Order: sequence, then C-alpha cells, then structure tokens
Amino acid sequence: MDITRRQFIGGAAATIATMATGMPLGAAAANPTIKYGGSAWLGHYPAYLAMTNGYLKEMQLEQEWQSFGTSSSRMSAVMAGGIDIACTGVVSALALMARGAKQFSIIAIPENFGRVEGLFVKGGVKNIAELKGKKIGVTFASSAHLLVLDLIAKAGLKADDITVLNVPAPELPAAFQAGQIDAAAAWTPQFDLIRKQPGVTLLADDTQFSLYKSFNVTPGPDVLIVRRAFAESNAAAVKSYLTAYFKATALLRDHPAEAAKPLMKLTNLGEADQVGAVKGADWYSREQQAGLLKGQYVEGLQKLAELLVAHKQIDKAPSVKDWIDPSFI
Amino acid sequence: MSSKSPSRGALLVTSATSVLIFLLIWETACRSGLVDPIFLPPPSAVLGKAIAMGNEGTLLANILASARRVMIGFLAATAVAIPLGILLGTSVFGRAAFNPILSFLRPLPSMSWIPLSLLWFGITETQKYSIVFMGTFAPALVYVIEATRNIDPLLIRAAQNLGASRWNVMKEVILPGSLPQILSGLKVILGLAWTCVISAELVAAREGLGFLIMNGKEFFQTEVVVLGMVLISVTVLITDLCFRAIENRVLRWQK
Repeated sequence: MDITRRQFIGGAAATIATMATGMPLGAAAANPTIKYGGSAWLGHYPAYLAMTNGYLKEMQLEQEWQSFGTSSSRMSAVMAGGIDIACTGVVSALALMARGAKQFSIIAIPENFGRVEGLFVKGGVKNIAELKGKKIGVTFASSAHLLVLDLIAKAGLKADDITVLNVPAPELPAAFQAGQIDAAAAWTPQFDLIRKQPGVTLLADDTQFSLYKSFNVTPGPDVLIVRRAFAESNAAAVKSYLTAYFKATALLRDHPAEAAKPLMKLTNLGEADQVGAVKGADWYSREQQAGLLKGQYVEGLQKLAELLVAHKQIDKAPSVKDWIDPSFI
Repeated sequence: MSSKSPSRGALLVTSATSVLIFLLIWETACRSGLVDPIFLPPPSAVLGKAIAMGNEGTLLANILASARRVMIGFLAATAVAIPLGILLGTSVFGRAAFNPILSFLRPLPSMSWIPLSLLWFGITETQKYSIVFMGTFAPALVYVIEATRNIDPLLIRAAQNLGASRWNVMKEVILPGSLPQILSGLKVILGLAWTCVISAELVAAREGLGFLIMNGKEFFQTEVVVLGMVLISVTVLITDLCFRAIENRVLRWQK
C-alpha cells in the first residue's frame, strides 16, 4: 500500500498525540495502568503478591512494576511523575516533606519490620558504651543509621566517641566478618547473614529505638504513598488498588508459607529464608489502617521527623499530618 | 572588517557579564515558580548553604578530604605512569608485552574497581586512593607512551650519531621533547581524577565532595548537591590554573 507524505505525517502525529496522553492505541482503558515503584525489600511484598496472585486483575487493575535500588531514587521518580504508587522508607518521604514537596500523600502503612533490623557486635561487647573508640559500619541516610545515632545519643555518648562509617548494605557482612568494623547495623537480608556469623550478638534492634515503646514507630518505617495528581484523577482506582493490596497483606499475615512461594521469584531467597522474611514483619490489615493513619502512629512519625532534625539529617520537621490521606481506606 | 583583536579586559568583562546573566535567569526562574526549587534550587540558596557550611567548618573539611584523595591517587598514578610510559614509549618489545594489559585496563571505569578495592583494602582511605589511582593510571600511561613515541626519531638518531649515551639521549632529547605533551595530558588526567574521587566517595566515606553530593541526594537537599557540583568545578579550575603555572615554569625554554 502506498502512503503519501501527508498521510504519513498525519498518522505519525496522531500516534504521538495518543502516546502523549498515555492512552493505549485502539481503545481507551477503563482503569489506568498503575506504575508501582518496588524492589526486593519486604515492604513491597503486598504489591508484588497483589500483582502475581491476580488480586489486582480481580479489581480490573494492571500494575507495571519498576525496581529501584533506594527509597530516594524511588521518591525522585514519584516527584518526576514516573511512579504512581510506591512503598518507601519514611525517611525519604520526610526529607521531601521537609522541602515542602506536595506531590504525594501517605495512604497506608504496610507493616512493621522492627525485628529484622538491628546492631550487631562481637567480642563480648555488652552495651553501646563499650563501643567507645570503635567503629560501627552502617549505610548512611538509612533507618539503621538513625537507629545507631539514637542508640549513641541514648547512651550519653557524643558523636565523636564512636567512629560511624558509611558502608553500603551489601558490603556490611563481609566488612564485619573481616574485622574492618567492630559493629554493624543492618536490615534484612544482611541482618540475617550477619546473625549467622560465629560469635555475633544482637546488641539492639528497632524495638530499642526511642520512639518504639511510646509510638510503635521504628527508625524508618515503610509507608505506602500515592502521587497526588494520580490519586485526584483516579480515586476509585486507588481504592480498588488498596482492596487488592490488603488482600495480599492478609495472605502474608495468615498464610506466610503460601505467600512466600511467589515471592521467591522476586527475592531469589530459598523457601525457608523467604518464609522467615515474611514472618519477620507484622503485616497490618485494612482495619488497622484507620487507627494508624489517624492515631498515635502519625504522632510518632512527627516525632521521628523531629528526631531527624535533632540528628542533623534534615533541616526542619514538616507537619506530617498534612501528608496523610486516609480517604482511600 | 577591523583586524584589531579585542583587549583582555573586554573579554573578561564579556565572560563575567555572561555568567551574571546566566545566574540572574536561573534565580528569576526559581523565584517566579517556573522551576520548583526541589528540582533546581536558586543560586542564592546554594550560596546560603555554602555560607552556612563554611561557618560550621564542614565546607572546607569536605573540600580538603576530596583534594587529598585526588592528589594522593593522582600523584601515585603519575609516579608509576611517567617512568613506565617513557620506558614503553622507547621499547617496541615493552609495548608488545604491556599493550594487551593496557587495552584491558583502559576502558574500565573507576566505579568498576569499587567491589575489589573494598575486598583488598577494606573501608580505609587507601581504598579511596586506589580508586583514583586505578581510574587515572591507564589514561596517564597512554598519554606518556604517546608523548614519548611522538619524539622525532631523527633527533634521537642525530644525538646518537653525535655520540650521546642512552642516558644522555633520554635526558637531553626524549624527556624535554615529550614533557610538553606529558604535562598537557596530566592536566586532563587531573580533571579525570576528580571524577574518580566522586566514585570513591560513594562508598564508605564520611566526608568529601562526592559524599556531600550523595548524602544531599538521599535527603533531597538539592542545594547541597548543586553546591558539591560547583565546588568540584571550582576546585578543578583552581588546580588547572596551578598546573598551568607549573607548566609555564617547567617549560619556560619552550617559549
């Protein structure tokens, strides 16, 4: 078939316009494809299970999974409009809130992973004060970093009393084993790897964090966020998404072994380790969300923001409740 | 058309004006809301951060930490590359033996050395020097080999015919002849060393301009990120000026 230049230009312009509006060629979709920012971290298990177990399909939803190495990269993509829904460590979200970014809202709290993050020591060290003059390895700008800063401050030590080294999470087990650091603060899966090393003691986990007892808030809890512009134009889709999402959290909580099987493809963990990772977190239900998003937990997140300011991690504490949106629950 | 070239002062004023206009447009775009400061902070915010960090003393500490890593890694690389490069530049067999290794090392970005350097040197300053070293050694060696090979063979033969020993040929012909090209190559490598130090400071660093940028990125402190970028450019510019002064002094005979 011969195509004239005018027909070609017209066709190309129509195609580009269709692609620019994000509509699939041929027919308009009832629901948009949700772009989710994930990784192999346990906070993303519900979104992954909702996708692979067909819970999203049941709600006539499609999810496009995009992986990110860090929460900050994921949040950058949210800011740029490339991701619609994501689970993120709250520290990244708080850092953006402190800059006045209004592009996203917190719509749910997926879990509490306080028992799979902590500070390991060896050589008979019994408390943090005994680490004076020694080296702690931790990934800077992470929840484990905040845990270490909090533990040091609670022990009445000064920042200079202990050398806190910035070590990427994957390098921590080897650095600790090789004796390059005297203590290591890590989260799962490095947490599990370090725990298996001989002569290692867990000195503190997230349950010793100063905000845990009063607010049940760990140093860097996960939060589920939605891009505001997306939520405003697709409110019904976001509500349906959460229905599928909490069906997945129920599976994780009630049937960890069944939930673990499809997750092994995401994490590359063996079955026993995968079941252990699922059981390592407390999975919140949809019914618990109202209590979390309207209650003391948000107050705890506010205190966490203030603590980040005290430790000079962010410049000012945002008013966290302004970013909480329980309307989709 | 007038053939009179513009004065140095006029060129300086033109350059300064263009920089000021650029900064003014940038500031106005941010202040007017055209650009969200989270995506690009105004120059005034970057300057404000620089002043605040300067008062705390952290600004200079970060600059010095990076500068030390750059200089040690760079000097170590040149200390090995210059004699080895001259040797390989004057020896066909040496080049045949070393070229395959050099061809393997040359395309490797400094970041690719991070996992191995961590295993070899641990979380130490030596690990950071080694990243700068590995990122600059191969390109420096190539510059030195090429500079040595570019010496006119007629000059070498003439010196030999006049009875110069191998050492004298090296001292009187090869070294002075290749030095201008070696120095201009090292100037480029010094700039490269600064890009290597950023890779080095991505891992296990507590200070330095690379650390400043990465930490700023984690907390979305874009003014810190831009400040780190500006400081790298300014520091490279200053070291380039210093290098040019050394070049002028060492190569005075060439003028």
